[in-house]
Amino acid sequence: MEPELAVALPATGALFTVALRARPRAALIAGGALGAAGLVAIVLSTPGIASDQIGLGLSISPLSRALLLAAAASLALVVTFAPQRAERALLLTWGLAGIAGMAAIAAAPSLDLVILVALAIALLQAAVAGRRPLAARLRAPALAVALLGAGLVFARIDGAPILAKLAAVGLVAGLAAAVGILPYIHEFDPDEVTAASPIAWIAFVGPILALEVVTRARDLIPSAAAAFGAMLIGLGLLNILWGSLASWFSEKGASAWHFSFMADWGLVMCAFGVPVADGQAAALLVMYGILLSRLPLYLWSRQSLRERIQTDRPINLLAAAMLAGSAPFAGFAARVLLLRGATQLYWPLALVIGIGLLLWLPPSLRLGRSLGLPKGRQAVGAGIALALSVAIGLYPQPILSLAGL
Amino acid sequence: MTEAAGFAAWVGAAVIVLADGRRGLAAGIGLVALGFTVLAWTDGLWPAGAILLAGGAVSVFTLVRAGPQQWGLMPPASTPRLILAVVVGILSLWVAASVTTGPGASLRFASLAVLGLMAGRLLQSQSPTAVPTAAAALALALAGASGLAPDGAGWAPYFVGSVIAAGASMIPAEESRGA
Repeated sequence: MEPELAVALPATGALFTVALRARPRAALIAGGALGAAGLVAIVLSTPGIASDQIGLGLSISPLSRALLLAAAASLALVVTFAPQRAERALLLTWGLAGIAGMAAIAAAPSLDLVILVALAIALLQAAVAGRRPLAARLRAPALAVALLGAGLVFARIDGAPILAKLAAVGLVAGLAAAVGILPYIHEFDPDEVTAASPIAWIAFVGPILALEVVTRARDLIPSAAAAFGAMLIGLGLLNILWGSLASWFSEKGASAWHFSFMADWGLVMCAFGVPVADGQAAALLVMYGILLSRLPLYLWSRQSLRERIQTDRPINLLAAAMLAGSAPFAGFAARVLLLRGATQLYWPLALVIGIGLLLWLPPSLRLGRSLGLPKGRQAVGAGIALALSVAIGLYPQPILSLAGL
Repeated sequence: MTEAAGFAAWVGAAVIVLADGRRGLAAGIGLVALGFTVLAWTDGLWPAGAILLAGGAVSVFTLVRAGPQQWGLMPPASTPRLILAVVVGILSLWVAASVTTGPGASLRFASLAVLGLMAGRLLQSQSPTAVPTAAAALALALAGASGLAPDGAGWAPYFVGSVIAAGASMIPAEESRGA
């Protein structure tokens, strides 16, 4: 019953916050309570045992459970320590809707349903009135769905051996379009509200979607596993290079953040492409970094980006170190695991990735400055994000154990 | 019968590619839904097919109920779209009939043709009506393609796909608003 509740409770919470929008405090309490109940259902779900209450056989894997908990923590952080001007009930509404969708993706019994739920989330996100036209809001995620669907069809049909490789191409291309990395960078508007921003949505929903697509694709096309992994690594390296350099040299601060997310996704792709346990552990920790560090810091920096404020205080330096993945933050542990995994696979790959990792430093210093000087709630939030990252960086084992790694 | 259904799905997708008006898009999504419904029925999936048909019907109804009623078929400068529709159809037919083996060639053809054409439409269009319609057709095609799963994917993809197809057409087609 837990997977069903993990979907239904946050979805109900989102509906309650919409219904109570005129009374923001009540909306926050109702949404928070139902979201917390959904979180309990996720924690209590037994990995590997399918629940058949609605005839679907839903189950949440340990890896997905670990990522869902990180997403819930990220939402709690963003809503609790939201900027003064932000409408917290609205953030909670869309966050809970996202959590419900992510739980549905995690629990779905087949890749068909994963892709369809992703399309439903894309349509919901496109329905939020933003500054971009509807066609621009929907184009990239729907294209991702089409490519993933084509990959799935190729994986399922019998015939020439090349079909498995075509399936791998479709799935990797679809995944790249879904998380907005090269060659499918999503169009964005720096002044768009958070609920409509593709940067926030991809950072929030992307990790669980990427995890489910990659893990299920490996089972679908075992004969093309090597090609699948190689494409992930190639695309990952390309995005590490492009994302970090573009983040460094980009004129606009919001674009710099956008490209920094791409660089992180490049790291995730590389880690997923390394078919050893260290690679999977690295992917998980980088995605934890996206959810618990980069996403909240990006949202808290939006005000100072608009006002073009840049500060050089210790907090900015610490934030830069966290974003760059330096010790003792979580990104460092992820990078060490990735390099170890890549060395096991093919040592020159570790060398290339190692050189690529150096590119994180200059843009991270810039991004750290763009945070401005956090005050009040945001200062507390930034402190918690830093502390969480240090805790995971110093001792990642509880997270890895939770994920079954 | 399955050949006609697969052909209808491709014609529907081609109409979505070639039309800019709401009536044309409604005709396209209706044909896509009808094609996949018949393919599901010929596979013995009667309730699943009916669910798909219902989703397609809601989508058609929503499109023809509101907004300016025009067909908008093949507006000026639509030659590249026509070529896209024909080329994707031929490629899908080649893959479904020659490269792949086993039963279900019509479903393979319809799935690949609709997915390919909708991907093209999504990349090409700026229209606030055409893009959600293409997304709705994608949902129907994905739901229909779940019939290719070795043990069958059950009723859930059909239901979810149908709900998405119905919902996609209901997204307000207004242009951008301020944040």
